[in-house]
Amino acid sequence: MIRRLRRVTPFQVILVTVFTALAAFMSLPIIFILNHAFKPQNELFLFPPRFLVQNPTLRNFESLILHASNATVPFTRYLFNSLIVAGLTLGTVIIVSTMAGYVLAKYQFHFKQLILSLITLSLMFAPETVGIPRYLIISGLGINNTYFGHILPALASPIAVFMLVGFISQIPGELLEAAKMDGASHFGIFTKMVLPLSVPAIATISIFTFQGVWGDVETSTLFMQEETMRTLAFYVNSLLSGLQNSVSGQNVAAAAGLLMFLPNLIIFLLFQRRVLETMVHSGIK
Amino acid sequence: MGSITFSHVYKHYKGESRPAVNDFHLSIEEGEFLVLVGPSGCGKSTTLRMLAGLEDITEGDLYIDEKFVNYVSPKDRDIAMVFQNYALYPNLTVFENIALGLKLRKTAKHDIELRVNRVAKILEISHLLERKPSQLSGGQKQRVALGRAIAREPQVFLMDEPLSNLDAKLRAQTRAEIIKLQSDLKRTMVYVTHDQVEAMTMGTRIVVMKDGVIQQVAPPRQLYDEPANLFVAGFIGSPQMNFLEGSLVREDGRYYFLNKRMKLLVPERHYEHFAVKTASLRNCVLGVRPEHVWLKRENEEKDEPEDGFVRCVVEMTEVTGADSYVYVKLGEKTVIGRTEPETMYEKEEKLLIGFNMNKVHFFDEQSGVSLAAGGEEG
Ligand SMILES: Nc1ncnc2c1ncn2[C@@H]1O[C@H](COP(=O)(O)OP(=O)(O)OP(=O)(O)O)[C@@H](O)[C@H]1O
Ligand SMILES: [Mg+2]
Repeated sequence: MIRRLRRVTPFQVILVTVFTALAAFMSLPIIFILNHAFKPQNELFLFPPRFLVQNPTLRNFESLILHASNATVPFTRYLFNSLIVAGLTLGTVIIVSTMAGYVLAKYQFHFKQLILSLITLSLMFAPETVGIPRYLIISGLGINNTYFGHILPALASPIAVFMLVGFISQIPGELLEAAKMDGASHFGIFTKMVLPLSVPAIATISIFTFQGVWGDVETSTLFMQEETMRTLAFYVNSLLSGLQNSVSGQNVAAAAGLLMFLPNLIIFLLFQRRVLETMVHSGIK
Repeated sequence: MGSITFSHVYKHYKGESRPAVNDFHLSIEEGEFLVLVGPSGCGKSTTLRMLAGLEDITEGDLYIDEKFVNYVSPKDRDIAMVFQNYALYPNLTVFENIALGLKLRKTAKHDIELRVNRVAKILEISHLLERKPSQLSGGQKQRVALGRAIAREPQVFLMDEPLSNLDAKLRAQTRAEIIKLQSDLKRTMVYVTHDQVEAMTMGTRIVVMKDGVIQQVAPPRQLYDEPANLFVAGFIGSPQMNFLEGSLVREDGRYYFLNKRMKLLVPERHYEHFAVKTASLRNCVLGVRPEHVWLKRENEEKDEPEDGFVRCVVEMTEVTGADSYVYVKLGEKTVIGRTEPETMYEKEEKLLIGFNMNKVHFFDEQSGVSLAAGGEEG
């Protein structure tokens, strides 16, 4: 029996080969970004271009720092803004979305269906279509040039709520009822049961929320008129567009590209592990 | 402490035409082991959940210890519940699962430890305390769920089919343990099951429900010997009670049960019921349990069977070990009779069948109500 299970069918061979090839292909851009940042000037312009770096150097980063120190606002300020904004947004999105998801998934109240439909509906809007109303709201509230102005537009995350409603409705009702009988309050059930059991979903929304916020340029461009309130993504973006045709700028761009990419990778690896771990150990079948 | 009173309780789910629980009216004494039994969908869980406070009561009053509790939240009712699928907290260890209720009730830490360990010892799960629920077998999960309920030492235990996920052997074993536990703790227990064997062996009183309506409330013996209606008579007992339609006629001051195939003399003790239920006599149902059916081989010499016996044909025999049950054809009707396991009857063999008329029951065919049941005309 075991033998038969272990036997590799031709189909499996094909499957594994195809998926390995696919995975390798998907990872090419990542390998490219990693290598590109460490290429010396001459390798950057090599034709035909090479994927792998031959003589790795840190010169590109030196250039980036040099370039940044000449700017009106120090590089560290952008970095600080980005970290603050990404951190706060991530935290608040998780809090708001899990609470909304729990209530929408497990409680019965008036207009629940309407609210759910509105959330689903808002999933279909392209971000561009809400740009103007969003601007009106931000300036109406007078929160231009504040961190709050960064966070508020990202706070209402229909996709996160949508995912959490789906996930939390999978938690058996008896579990929450058992907690209720054990004496847990509504908030206690939320923090002691719903939150820990939703970790896989929270990890998932964390990944894409972080990526969205970290790479977001629009908020800095539209709502932040003061340079000191703008984020690293904005800086790198303007750097790249400013350097597009300059030969000497290419090395700065390569280093900046890696810098923008790395946090995404770290967050992804961090949370992806949690996703798998919790799925294995949670006992939810 | 721990007495419960349902006063004309109804539960209407939104969008359902029929109430899930219909005029549930019952008092449960403290320390009683009450079993709710009935077919699937008859409203057992709903009743239990209303008692727990997990479901609103549409109409009627609920009292625990004489206190009106319709609007009291579950955590303030001093009740613990064991769910059918255990509902253990998957993110907590066994210890934490059992301790959570105590922790939330602000029990002192050393006290929690003491109580959890004591409960674990009673249920023999001490070696599992550090595990997560996903690392337990079904029987072990069941024990943890029991432990979680016991540790809190509530006034009332509620259990909703707690044994239905266990295999037969484990079920019998856990059943005995729950009975022992209840008699040790002397707390009120309301236990839901759809298994009549479980109901008969566990309950000090049994409530039989059907379509949200209480059919009969009685101790197990009485439920078996004096079923209030056709439904209870058919539901309790395995194999089922046999039912034969016919009528009761009076001849020379005696009553006979009469149908196409048989004429049976009814013992006198039934007569007082017949006197007040004259309307039911024309169309009635005779009920007889398999153990009160007599089967014997025909005596070749006689042409006519002796009084009270009629001819029948063996359809099949079911041997359960201690007994065997013979299914015989009586006209169109199949009647089940219990015999000694040693007596073997052939298929298609012709037998004589008779009933122990001292043990039969009569029901009104229309309403199904037992003619022996007190009260007004069915
Ligand atoms: N949340 C609900 N909404 C609407 N109807 C419900 C709901 N829960 C139960 N019902 C209905 O109420 C009736 C009683 O259900 P209940 O769960 O009490 O049955 P039960 O006796 O526990 O059955 P089982 O033995 O299958 O568990 C059923 O007809 C069921 O369809
Ligand atoms: Mg049920």
